[in-house]
Amino acid sequence: MSEKVKEEKAYRVLESHNFLQRVMFRYMLEGHAASEEGKLAWVTSGFPVEIPVAMDVGVSYPEQYGAIVGSEKAGPKLCEYAEELGYSQELCSYARASIGSVKHPEESPLEGLPAPQALLACNNICGTVLRWYDAISQMTGAPVFLLDTPPLEGEQMPHHIAYVRHGLDNLVSFLSKQFGTTLEEDKFRKVTDLSTETIGIWTQCLEACKNKPSPLNCADRFLAMAPVVAIRGRDYTLEYYQTLLNEVNDRVANGLGAIRDEKVRLLWDNIPPWFRVFRIMGSLAKRGVVFPADTYTHAWTGSIKGEDRMDSIASMYSNVYLNKGLEAKVDKMCNLIKNYDLDGFVMFSVRSCKRYSLGQLVSKELVSERTGVPGVVIEGDMVDSRLQNDAQIETRLDALLEMLL
Amino acid sequence: MSNAQATEQSERILKQLVNEGKPILGYVYPHTPLEIIMAHGLMPALLYANPTVMGSYEASLQTFACSFIRNMFSQRVNDQLPYVNGIVFPGNTCDSLQNLADIWHLRFPQDKVFRLTYPAGNQGEAAVQYFAEELRIFSNALEDAYGSPFSDATFRQAVDLVQQFRSAVQFLYAARLLQPSSVPYHRIAAFVREFHSAPLEMVVDELRATVNDVEHGLAEAGRIDSTKALQHALLERRLEDVSLPSDLPTPRIAIVGGMTEPQAIAELVNAISKVSSTAVVFDLLSFGFKTIFMPMPAFEGDPFETMARSVLGALLEPTQEGLPRRLDFLKDALTHLAIDGLIVCEQSFCDPDEFESPSLLTVASEVGVRTVRLPVDPEFSDRVRLEGRIQSFLETLTHGGAA
Repeated sequence: MSEKVKEEKAYRVLESHNFLQRVMFRYMLEGHAASEEGKLAWVTSGFPVEIPVAMDVGVSYPEQYGAIVGSEKAGPKLCEYAEELGYSQELCSYARASIGSVKHPEESPLEGLPAPQALLACNNICGTVLRWYDAISQMTGAPVFLLDTPPLEGEQMPHHIAYVRHGLDNLVSFLSKQFGTTLEEDKFRKVTDLSTETIGIWTQCLEACKNKPSPLNCADRFLAMAPVVAIRGRDYTLEYYQTLLNEVNDRVANGLGAIRDEKVRLLWDNIPPWFRVFRIMGSLAKRGVVFPADTYTHAWTGSIKGEDRMDSIASMYSNVYLNKGLEAKVDKMCNLIKNYDLDGFVMFSVRSCKRYSLGQLVSKELVSERTGVPGVVIEGDMVDSRLQNDAQIETRLDALLEMLL
Repeated sequence: MSNAQATEQSERILKQLVNEGKPILGYVYPHTPLEIIMAHGLMPALLYANPTVMGSYEASLQTFACSFIRNMFSQRVNDQLPYVNGIVFPGNTCDSLQNLADIWHLRFPQDKVFRLTYPAGNQGEAAVQYFAEELRIFSNALEDAYGSPFSDATFRQAVDLVQQFRSAVQFLYAARLLQPSSVPYHRIAAFVREFHSAPLEMVVDELRATVNDVEHGLAEAGRIDSTKALQHALLERRLEDVSLPSDLPTPRIAIVGGMTEPQAIAELVNAISKVSSTAVVFDLLSFGFKTIFMPMPAFEGDPFETMARSVLGALLEPTQEGLPRRLDFLKDALTHLAIDGLIVCEQSFCDPDEFESPSLLTVASEVGVRTVRLPVDPEFSDRVRLEGRIQSFLETLTHGGAA
């Protein structure tokens, strides 16, 4: 058995989390080294990172840094620095924390992200990223490259693929000019193969949670997702996920769940409140509540394949979860509830993330109607704890659990 | 005409059109291609935020939805959009409007809901081709929904009418900058509103008459040619050679922001006592300058491609341009148009407005222009405070105090 069972905790800690920490530490060091060499780009979470990686451009990931800021409870302080510069408290707290950390790196966890030489934004996750990166560009002087992937309604049409494909060609030109590098086909194929294999193994980890008890809770996945989001296409990332999958499979084989006494299985929707997620999950775990599935970590799926990898990228990155309409999101949630045999769902309404959150009140009704399971909407924020009322969240979760326990 | 009176008048006109059997297609984004809609025999009508609407969005939208979409949604819930039998939403312009279209469609499945998706950023010719195809799809959807095909002849008439309107209002914008007493800002704002509410020949006729009056006044001052030159310079976005008269009344105020309605702002400023009618000389609002100074679509070639070029050629829209170009133009405008003060409007919970305003304030500060920031919502729920802020700001400009 590979689990370290702590009797006093309702939660089982993953041993592979040590490996995860080493991977993320290496990623951070590589970011600093790339920045010092003048070859670092900041990228958004939905950016086709395989292209800069294949072109030897280092990448750092401000949204993942936002999660660190949140979990370190530095959100209010850094967001306030952005507000002092005139950015409204109503704006995305990842963006505000990022702006605040650029303004005051000495006050920021890890002393902020390493300085970028380019800012690579893809709007497949929201329209905010462009404006956020514009603001960072004003502060750092790093140029912005926008890969435009207009939101999809239904199937992706040929003119949409052609447009995104053109954007990808422009990206290669931009990186070549900015960093004096080229895209070599062999390396590109190797990186995309690694990326696809990594996503495939990550998907197996997610799907293992269909088992009862679920081998992972959503807090485990929120941590474990960091490399698949930020450093796809690296061999050490793949190695980490293989280790994680082995541990997950061990848990399944031995009937061990992420929590010790699984009674209720729920779906989590949206980004978590990073500053409070472990407290919420720990408290629910004590009551036998586990989250075998969530919409956030399931967003990183798909594969880059075929002869023309660029076309495959144009398709995969246009079809991400947040780039589709509300109907597609409802379908996804219903499928997760059915396939993971879930008893209910929790929608976290993130005040500063409009793309993910607006529509939840309608989708809650639709998901309940279609699946017959109850759900609850709780409101707060991912980074800025000033926007969250813990007591209200607790009351609402209690109301849901009264129906289920 | 007050904002409320303008709303009543729009509704009267729309009601009459409905009675005449004309289908009304509502739209919310300033860069909606009116000409394409009109080419299907439909009447495009801009759906304004209604300052008197009762909030009725809570079952479908959270409180952090932008105040504009909350207002629009409440109007629909309260049945305050009776003349509209279809609505077109923009895609890829902001997250709130993107999601609103989905919510609307699910909440009101009986409504005809269209989405026209725009390219973002400056993507050159690829964006034109992409958007032309989106326009073609939109046109096909209109034909399917209303049974009225795209007509080349009607399209040409629409292009001509819209261009007459834009050209005339452009001239008024230029006249206001050169000789602010020649036409009140609220008059320009009223024309913009009337035409967008219902793009009819009669609005253009009335506009033409006003232009004639203004031309007469400018001719007396010998400023016709310089006004036309300024109109051209604004269209071309080349302001460095603009020459202004030395006897301009001060202070000269510009208003910048996104979806704030020009007429609502004009009414707000007019209501403040002691504000000179010549003070507001310019705006950079979405339903004002940004829409009016769009390049004319060509008559030749594929109508969807020519419309795509026109829409994507609009100045200063956050969707189509990166921030640096917009800031450069603002700096030029403040400098070369002798602006003394800048009012920066921020719609509450509006990401584009709220992200941009710190940069706008910085640019103004760099060129020594005083600023005031105006958080607004469509209901002007804190109207007294807004008026107080504007009044204090104008006093500091007049007396040279700190803004």
